[in-house]
Amino acid sequence: MAIVTQSRRAACWNPSDALSNRILRLRDEYFSFETRPFRNEVMPFTTGTPWDTVYRYASWTIVPEILPFLKAYEDSLCAAARVVPLPNGFWERPLPVRVALFFAEVLAHHLPVDILEGELIVGGQFNSALSLCLTRSEARQRAKAAEAFRMAASDTSNLGLGNCGAVPGHLIPDYPKVLRIGFGGIVEAIRRAQDSEPDPARRDVLESFSIACRAAGALADRYASEAERQALGAAPARAAELREIAAVCRKVPWAPAETFHEALQALWLTHMLVLTSESYPGAGVSFGRIDQYLWPYYQRDVAEGRLTRDDAREFVRCFFIKPNYAYDYQGRVGRHQGINSSFGQLITLAGCGPDGEDRANDLTYLLLDVIEELNLLEPKPNVRLHARTPDRLLTRVCQLLSRAQGAPFLLNFDETSMRGLRWQGLPEVDLWDYAPVGCLENTRQGDDRSGTVDVNLNLAKAVELALFEGCDQASGKQIGPRTPDPRAMRTWPEFEAAFRTQLSFCLRRLVELNNQADTTRARFEPTPYLSALVGGCIEGCRDVTAGGARFSYITVEGVALATAADSLSAVKTLVFEAKRVSMEALLRAVDRNFDGDEFLRQVLLNKAPKYGNDDPEADNMAHNLTHWWAEEAATLETPLTKRRYRGGYLSWNYGIAYAPLTSATPDGRTRGTYLSNGVAAVPGMDRAGPTAAARAVGDLGLEVIPNGASHTISLPPSLVRDTEHVEKLAGFLRGYCVEGGSALQINMIDAATLREAQRNPDEFRNLIIRVTGYNAYFVNLGREIQEEIIAREAPCR
Amino acid sequence: MTATSIEATLFNIQRFSTEDGPGIRTTVFFKACPMRCPWCHNPESIRPEPEVVWHAGRCLGDRGCVDVCPEGALRAEPSGIAIDRSRCRGCGTCVDFCPSAALEIHGHRMGVDDLVETLLKDAAFYAKSGGGVTLSGGEPLLQPKAATAVLRALRERGVHTALDTCGVATENTLKAALQWTDLVLIDIKTVDPERHRAFTGVAFDRVRDAARTMDESGVEVWVRTPIIPGYTADEESVRRVARFVAETFRHCTRHDLLAFSNLCTAKYAQLDRPFALADTPLLDANDMERLCRVARDAGSPHARWSGPTRVADPES
Repeated sequence: MAIVTQSRRAACWNPSDALSNRILRLRDEYFSFETRPFRNEVMPFTTGTPWDTVYRYASWTIVPEILPFLKAYEDSLCAAARVVPLPNGFWERPLPVRVALFFAEVLAHHLPVDILEGELIVGGQFNSALSLCLTRSEARQRAKAAEAFRMAASDTSNLGLGNCGAVPGHLIPDYPKVLRIGFGGIVEAIRRAQDSEPDPARRDVLESFSIACRAAGALADRYASEAERQALGAAPARAAELREIAAVCRKVPWAPAETFHEALQALWLTHMLVLTSESYPGAGVSFGRIDQYLWPYYQRDVAEGRLTRDDAREFVRCFFIKPNYAYDYQGRVGRHQGINSSFGQLITLAGCGPDGEDRANDLTYLLLDVIEELNLLEPKPNVRLHARTPDRLLTRVCQLLSRAQGAPFLLNFDETSMRGLRWQGLPEVDLWDYAPVGCLENTRQGDDRSGTVDVNLNLAKAVELALFEGCDQASGKQIGPRTPDPRAMRTWPEFEAAFRTQLSFCLRRLVELNNQADTTRARFEPTPYLSALVGGCIEGCRDVTAGGARFSYITVEGVALATAADSLSAVKTLVFEAKRVSMEALLRAVDRNFDGDEFLRQVLLNKAPKYGNDDPEADNMAHNLTHWWAEEAATLETPLTKRRYRGGYLSWNYGIAYAPLTSATPDGRTRGTYLSNGVAAVPGMDRAGPTAAARAVGDLGLEVIPNGASHTISLPPSLVRDTEHVEKLAGFLRGYCVEGGSALQINMIDAATLREAQRNPDEFRNLIIRVTGYNAYFVNLGREIQEEIIAREAPCR
Repeated sequence: MTATSIEATLFNIQRFSTEDGPGIRTTVFFKACPMRCPWCHNPESIRPEPEVVWHAGRCLGDRGCVDVCPEGALRAEPSGIAIDRSRCRGCGTCVDFCPSAALEIHGHRMGVDDLVETLLKDAAFYAKSGGGVTLSGGEPLLQPKAATAVLRALRERGVHTALDTCGVATENTLKAALQWTDLVLIDIKTVDPERHRAFTGVAFDRVRDAARTMDESGVEVWVRTPIIPGYTADEESVRRVARFVAETFRHCTRHDLLAFSNLCTAKYAQLDRPFALADTPLLDANDMERLCRVARDAGSPHARWSGPTRVADPES
């Protein structure tokens, strides 16, 4: 950075030197995928029928980049699958029971049991591809539906409209229930429900839950036996640990956890089996407010002298390494795991209680310490901030942000988040107890599946369709309704109406397509194990895939908000109001991808209002756009499972995938240039600093976006170069609570990014360098000075 | 007198300013300055009139700007757009025209009411971070009515106000402004009368008198001393500044020694002005440490330093 003071610049984030040899070894082992003997690669299991499948298209159709390969994945996993001998009478049982029995067989006899050297929390192999356990007739019906969906999903995505799918994960199972009453207690509760349930089909559903819960107990026993076996040949210290592990696994997760160690072991095994049961490597299966529900175990052990703070730390470190093994799913892809490089198993820290006071405790701070020490990707921490967040917590969070280039946390803001959940219709009484899943998607804990990444709508495509009367610009194909020729329009409201017609069309096309995926999953892909862990399923005798969760929604994530809003603003102000640009010229330029129209493109880039600058004109457009689609989404519902749709702004990496599939846009963007991300401004267009950007996000009216909105900002590392400045960051976050959105992540930019800024100055025009009173845009500085600034930046790994 | 009728000439409003006082601030840069310091890092702040600059990297080469200029002040030359500064009146026609923002104008007039409204946008961030608004420049007190009206309006709305001044103002002007000011940032460059006049074009007496007025008002003061090689970057100069600070200010809570920066070289070129210090190397961090100790030893206990230095961080 331009500013170097006597304070030392924050070092790059690295694992702590204070980690024990045990943890360093376990951490290194995790990172040595190529050489280590244990690999948690996907392990397929089949019933052995010729029509079996172990792969679910709709789990992956939201990843446009892999759409062409789905069929190949399905075939090769099936070919590689191990045949599992089936219990007698298997095929006579109803589908949910078959699925549960198959799961139980795999857990009892086939899933490998691995305990790594030195680890205290066990549970190794979990990535799986389990048979769908369908009869020939079921398989035929499902294949027809799944294939039709796959084709339609490909078409829709290839047109750049967006994507959808019945995606696993993305919820917070009721883990505290397992800690409290154990699977034994859950089985008992299911038995009581069965006793009072007259309908045989519903009793079968409950039976499937019960079988799945017992299977978890059986796997824990296998781990206990393995620990006992390893103890025989181990050195005395390790043998003692292994005997302790064995005792813990004999007890939990079947019986209630009583100690911190038991709670962590029960939590890990229960969690990893969710990933196994859904045949999905964990994306979005989240832990919720771990510092709250683990606190009693921690506190009691410490108070009663069973546990020191250091012991607790070592257990937590062991626990935190485990979720990282989800990435073995694609270990062979190598280091560059690209679009799939994030399986957000979130933990939520701090946040308000029912009285508005913060709930951070000693365990919260311990968890923060471990996050800092370990320098690992998973579990991904979200910290909940609100008006009453104590200074101690905020300062610690900012300190970590500053030492880690902003990397470790996503910040969730309670007031804005709760406003959205209230608007969605969740009960007021425990809104305070929400937690995010996946990245930042807000849900209830333990009884809510809100399909948080199931539908992804490219808002910029609706702009293209409005410009070209419903036609895809590249192919000329009529895909949307035929709206009027914009060249014949005299006023903005005419164009707005055409846009809204196309927007509504895009939304409904995706929702209808997604309804197919949801229905197919509900009919053919029950997940009894997960259902037993989601509130509402046992009570309603309904699988979670069939809409059994007490709160069951599906989220439409808006993609390219800023690109779309800026495009609309440019049309409104430059074409209809200032009349500086004719619609004729605009359409011609967009059609030619601005080839030969650089002058016009620059006018669009520089003379129209841009979202993200606290400019009412531009920000109102983004606000209106948000409300147009999100309010309509909230009126839609799935036909079979009766899940209502709700809005979100995650947008993941779709700005890349849909960049070449979206025509040039009236904001001056050429086809192929990335679409905007989340609720952030178009890259380089937010030039009024982070407070203005925060206010623009706040002005979106995010209550209609109950899922939450992804806001990413970059700040120069110099902002946090000393304690005084770290406190300014804290002040900014407190201000963001009042003025900003629901979720924020901060990048403290590095030399590599500054290099990028040199190569693409247009995208980095907002990058401000400050030197005590002097301010300048980095890209406006002379080349030599840029070099000097970069040279002062220590290269980050 | 109502604020409504008053206008200020500004060259920038910088939100999320973190270097001009406590907390998160918005810094308002007033245009025009009575001093002519050769090291000035905001050369666009010096003259009162709006100034057009041309950014070569952004220019499309369309040259339409040449035709739209009502004064005929622009010429397309092989090296780019040349601005005849004797003709340019700063009307901004070319800037409005230029599609790629290659032409930019430093200096625009803004009514105090609008300005205050803009400044209040970040009120939540000021309140949460212990920040506020800093008037800087240029010299805000060259526009005393506007500056005082802004300070007053902000203070009346509970916003912390800082005034960054070179100290050139009449006693009445200064007193009127200080009434609404929570913190003064004052530059004490050198206390040697001859050098002060030679470097800045202004007698040090004026700065000294202003310093005393400030101290009498009881306002909190942060002193800033630019450390410029060949001008102020010697121990004797720093020692005398520190002594002056110790003798003059009873309410000084911070004394910043600001290391010479050459980041403004490109700005001088854009304004068609020479930068006398373009080839001056940055200072060494050890020099800054040493000068900082000198200042502390000479009676300025809050002395600290910041700014770019020649030597990279110890760890890089």
